[in-house]
Amino acid sequence: MEQLSLYRLFLLYMRLASVTFGGGNPTMAAMHTEMVARRKWLTSEKYSVCYALARITPGTNMLAFCAGTAWELLGWPGAVAGVLAASVPAGIVVALLTQGYDAVRANPLAMAAVAGTLAAAVGMMGTAAWELLRPYLDRRRWLHASVISGASLLLSLRFDMPPIEVLALAAVAGLVWRIPE
Amino acid sequence: MNFLLLYLLLTKATLASFSGLTSLPMVRHDLVEHYQVLTDRQLNAAVAAGRTAPGPNGLYVVSVGYFVDGVPGACAGLLATITPAFLIIPMLQYLGRRADRPPVKSAIRAVTLAAAGLVVTTTIPLARDALTGALPIAIAAGSFLFLVLTKRATIWVIAASALAGLGGAWLH
Repeated sequence: MEQLSLYRLFLLYMRLASVTFGGGNPTMAAMHTEMVARRKWLTSEKYSVCYALARITPGTNMLAFCAGTAWELLGWPGAVAGVLAASVPAGIVVALLTQGYDAVRANPLAMAAVAGTLAAAVGMMGTAAWELLRPYLDRRRWLHASVISGASLLLSLRFDMPPIEVLALAAVAGLVWRIPE
Repeated sequence: MNFLLLYLLLTKATLASFSGLTSLPMVRHDLVEHYQVLTDRQLNAAVAAGRTAPGPNGLYVVSVGYFVDGVPGACAGLLATITPAFLIIPMLQYLGRRADRPPVKSAIRAVTLAAAGLVVTTTIPLARDALTGALPIAIAAGSFLFLVLTKRATIWVIAASALAGLGGAWLH
């Protein structure tokens, strides 16, 4: 397992935010794979708390998520490093793209490479959902997992309930219907 | 427009939003309608640049800043995007002091399960846009299986999928 340090955290956040296309969600999904499943720097519960609180933090959810997870790992220096790593290089790419936007859009090879990474982002997000669910698919908790994740999917997809409300409702459900350790 | 005013206007817009592009109406109101330092065409190009680039869509604000005032404007946009992110930390501090209580632990587990459902929900529109043929579907399925089964770094998936996209374009 890779040892946690400010430098390694900075590099990881920069790498994930700078090469993951498709918005903040695929980046957050990739962070689950890298920080929870591979490096075990963060527990699935802490990841989820940051994910949920990032949804209710004003501004860009993904940057709030980076601030939260990095703060959990290395305090304020981590939070600052995490946010800068996730925003500055990607921000420079945006500024460069603004300058040459028409040229990039007109380049079929560049757009084909972006399309390939967008397809991969779908797979990465599927992985994150699976990794969040998997620990709960045991004999004592599979019913909680099925009902709560299924209800969350249904409420957001079928009834367009905002994520903040879905997560708040889930928290209340967890208070009332205890999920075992 | 001076740096501080641009930063404050863009921060106001990002503070009033809860996801990447929901700050758009306020940005348009302030910079296109009120101060007239940005055109609708530039705003559209900024949104498109933000969506085409890696990272969060909210970084379109950097592009807005660039259109308004070049590199200093882009810096103001970047700072405005970053500033609200740190508001999560007081919330984590508050929750952290209570996280060992069994009811709070159970609530956190429930939020984890709900988050899994929400991740699937947010995947669907992206899948509709991205999975437009056999090759993208194969890339998505291959990425999923590779990451679940091997636990290898996501950078390999991203690099391989970009190459696969290029290969597909070359074959066509």
